[in-house]
Amino acid sequence: MNILLIVIAVIVVVILLWLVIAYNGLVRLRNEADQGESSIDIQLKRRADLIPNLVEAVKGYATHESATFENVSNARAQALGAKSLSEKADADGAMQSAVGKLFAIAEAYPELRAVESFVQLQTELADTEDKVAAARRYYNAVVQQFNTKQQTVPTSFIAGAFGFSPREFYRLEDDADRQPVKVDLN
Amino acid sequence: MTLQQQIRSARMRTLLVIVLFIVLMAVIVAAINVAFGSGYGLIMGMVAVGYGIFGYIAAGSIVASASGARKIAKEDAPELFRTVENAAIAAGLAKTPDIYIIDDPAPNAFAAGRTPDKAYVAATTGILQLLDKRELEGVMAHEMAHIRNRDVRLMTLAAVMVGVISMIADMLLWSMVFSGNRNSNDNNPLGAILAIVAIILAPIGAAMLQMTLSRRREYLADATAAELTGDPEGLARALYKLAADQRPLAKVNRATAHLWIESPLRDNKGMRSSMAGLFDTHPPLQERIDRLQEMGGFTLPPIPKGAADA
Repeated sequence: MNILLIVIAVIVVVILLWLVIAYNGLVRLRNEADQGESSIDIQLKRRADLIPNLVEAVKGYATHESATFENVSNARAQALGAKSLSEKADADGAMQSAVGKLFAIAEAYPELRAVESFVQLQTELADTEDKVAAARRYYNAVVQQFNTKQQTVPTSFIAGAFGFSPREFYRLEDDADRQPVKVDLN
Repeated sequence: MTLQQQIRSARMRTLLVIVLFIVLMAVIVAAINVAFGSGYGLIMGMVAVGYGIFGYIAAGSIVASASGARKIAKEDAPELFRTVENAAIAAGLAKTPDIYIIDDPAPNAFAAGRTPDKAYVAATTGILQLLDKRELEGVMAHEMAHIRNRDVRLMTLAAVMVGVISMIADMLLWSMVFSGNRNSNDNNPLGAILAIVAIILAPIGAAMLQMTLSRRREYLADATAAELTGDPEGLARALYKLAADQRPLAKVNRATAHLWIESPLRDNKGMRSSMAGLFDTHPPLQERIDRLQEMGGFTLPPIPKGAADA
């Protein structure tokens, strides 16, 4: 009788302990995902801030490329206005291709490529591109863990009971967009 | 292993290292007590405890100064800075670690520090010259992996503790040399034997301490690095280049050997025998490259013979 009680008590305690650990694990992953998302935001913002200077720099030399400039500022507006994660990813893709085109144009102006501030901007942008990619890899890795935990037994029970929901991955539209903008400094 | 499991394992091993250190010190102090009288043992014990506590607090900077590393600012090496920043973002670290440079043509790098916040990475000028951007990214991601997995505290502590043990072994040796005769005449011969045993025991204990770090964590850090950069080949190429380079580091000692991405000890080649590998702090580079090749589905030519077990 007593032994049975003790066994039951031990089982209850173990289950409670597991509950606490599993719940905390989910909360930790959710926080890490939040942190990852805001890290992406920071880098996207940083890139958006670099764009006006870049456009100014190129404008001085390439006067007949208004369509490209418009493209870039549209992409920038889209990036700044994006709310959801998929909107941000779309804007990110648009921005990458618009900036890529801008740099392609700049290639045709050797005088522009000799301007130190322009070269610096180019380096900064390439670096920001790398940082967006790094932040995205971190976020997606965390989300993968978070979602897997929610979908596998037994953590799935807790996830259901406490209202955890799977996170969206940060995906760019197609694989071609996943390549960072190639910036040739030579 | 998930990140949490790795962190937990690093914590357990940290505890193990500290316990092992305390046990080892107790044995040595007891041996000294018997050999030279309790006065010596007590003093030695106090020195060891004091140095141990000091070491725990200042571990990071002790290792930095032992390796001749100096802190740099972003302007000094913008490329390296960016690479480290990116690796830190990919690893999800709250803060980019400080960056140290070691003026040494031998290519190598390490990470150290007691907590992820206070951790730093150090690179030799040699590695910055040798590696291209992609390879350097791989190396820095490897160091970030050590920081994120909480390996650095364990590795830094072990470095300091191994340093303490070798220091005491040296002190013992010299006191034996200078006062050995008198003691063995005055006291029992058992004392001298015990002291000799302690002297032999100390380096073995130090090696064991380093081995608790397990070479598996190098493989783990490689795997994490590949995940962080999404490019196992970059790190593999870096390791390949490191294997080909035979220059030894100037400021290196046994105590810090396990910290580096590639074993910095070169001069003990001749001593390798059937025991070879048992006391190695690092897995063979070829093995590490092979594992990265498996992950990434690419092939590099095998490391040329003669450089294979660098």
